[in-house]
Amino acid sequence: MISKKIVIASLLVVAGPLMAAPLSYDLKPQKIADNTWVLQGKLEDFSNRNGGNIVNTSFVVTEDGVVVIDTGPSLKYGKEMRAVIASVTDKPIKYVFNTHQHPDHFLGNQAFKDIEILSLPKTKQQIKQDGDSFAENMYRLVGDWMRSTEVQLPTTVIESDHLTLGSHRFQLSAFSGHSGADLVIYDEKTGVLFASDIVFYQRALTTPHTPGLATWMDDIDRLESFKYTHIVPGHGPVTMDHRPLAQMKSYLQWLDKTLTDAAKAGLSMTEVIRLPISAEFDSIQLTRTEFVKTVAHLYPKYEELYF
Amino acid sequence: MKQKISALALSAVISLPAYAVTDPLESPLWDYMRKTFIGNEPYVFDDQVKVELPEFAEDPTQVPITVDASALSGDIQRIISWADLNPIQHIFTYHPHPDIIPRMSLRIKVQQSTAVRAAVLTKDGVWHIGGRYLEAAGGGCSTPSMANADPYWESHLGEMKSRLFPREEGGRYKFKVIHPMDTGLVDAIPEFYIETISVRSEGGEPLARMELSPPVSENPVITFDVRDASKKHRIWLRDNGGNEFEQEL
Repeated sequence: MISKKIVIASLLVVAGPLMAAPLSYDLKPQKIADNTWVLQGKLEDFSNRNGGNIVNTSFVVTEDGVVVIDTGPSLKYGKEMRAVIASVTDKPIKYVFNTHQHPDHFLGNQAFKDIEILSLPKTKQQIKQDGDSFAENMYRLVGDWMRSTEVQLPTTVIESDHLTLGSHRFQLSAFSGHSGADLVIYDEKTGVLFASDIVFYQRALTTPHTPGLATWMDDIDRLESFKYTHIVPGHGPVTMDHRPLAQMKSYLQWLDKTLTDAAKAGLSMTEVIRLPISAEFDSIQLTRTEFVKTVAHLYPKYEELYF
Repeated sequence: MKQKISALALSAVISLPAYAVTDPLESPLWDYMRKTFIGNEPYVFDDQVKVELPEFAEDPTQVPITVDASALSGDIQRIISWADLNPIQHIFTYHPHPDIIPRMSLRIKVQQSTAVRAAVLTKDGVWHIGGRYLEAAGGGCSTPSMANADPYWESHLGEMKSRLFPREEGGRYKFKVIHPMDTGLVDAIPEFYIETISVRSEGGEPLARMELSPPVSENPVITFDVRDASKKHRIWLRDNGGNEFEQEL
């Protein structure tokens, strides 16, 4: 016991100067399939501690160059991601994708501003319209990690349903359930499905810009038709099975039913936010936090149906 | 309980200067707000007065709150609710009636993180103070109402939707009224808000009454519970422009 205390005390001594060291995301590339790496974010909410690294970003190294999928929450993240890519391959980066308008997925764009950045047309509009206020909010939430980060718009809107680089042919599909415009990318060569934020796994989904849970549930059905080997969610661990889709489906159904039943019973919003969350979802992080926000985003629409 | 309350009240009246009772929410404006809304009248912080809200204002223009003073039911003269750090602090004042349970839910605008209070004056002349702290990124009171960008309200002002929901005991009314509820804090948009809501019997006799202030959200959605769901009720509203609206609930 005494020796343990001493160890802790000495750790504290060492930790002091370490805390003052420059912030670093310490990104660890995880090779999930041939030529394919994922940088998995934490299953957390934005905070000063994690610097906004709660998001999955990916890159695919083809014979003719690298494709980057999402650039993270800040300029710093983008730069560190670029360094990670350079540590894996000498090949140049050819294309960068922004899967949707949310700040943790595109605010690293500045680090890639010499490269073509592609998004769905609507995503570009959304970033143009709301990007600055998203960035401002990120400064408020995570602080100094954001230093010098500014909105860098996508350069090119996607007009084709595929893109080929080297021997990789990527199918590009427009979805909308999470944010109104969500890009899903399927690599035909490896069978990896980059599901963007249409899929959250083991981390509760977020709803500030969903057109509605019914649309999102349809999107999940559509994803089931992809014959993938690996699925990369926007948030949460990569898997080789259908658990993420099954979890999304039951969680979306539960949310929809809970909000419908609450509206039918005339519950007020303060009552709804305290409703029990099904034990089925115990393994998912942040269910209560996100449920409370979802009630703010969506419950008025459900109430409207039962006046 | 009664004894404890009067003992506390007594101590507040006789000996203790205001700062001796610490605000459990540690708000910098507590003492000023207290003087503004309840003057030098005796008060106690009382857990029986519940203010329910989310910890964080996801949308600072639509923060749900519930004030529940049903534990003091039958003993209430008046309820005042306010947000300490809002530019317009007052939210509503409620005048009870035996037919209506003193528990109401609505949505409010907040300008920044703030304590949200409810002060309940009981018949013995003591104010019972409840409250909760709300975190917010801010801007709710100085954001233009949606109505400002969409002329829909002009032709629908005062339109109400309502429904009676069965409860285990009695019934619950929820109603929504179209109104911009402008705060007057947005450049060149004067304050324009519903001042008075009166719940009336079928025959038009006034029962409970609420006086609202502009921090109540645009297109207010208000929920309250009645003891006897078999009785019919009407709602009557008046805004600060003198418009009156009345509808059967």
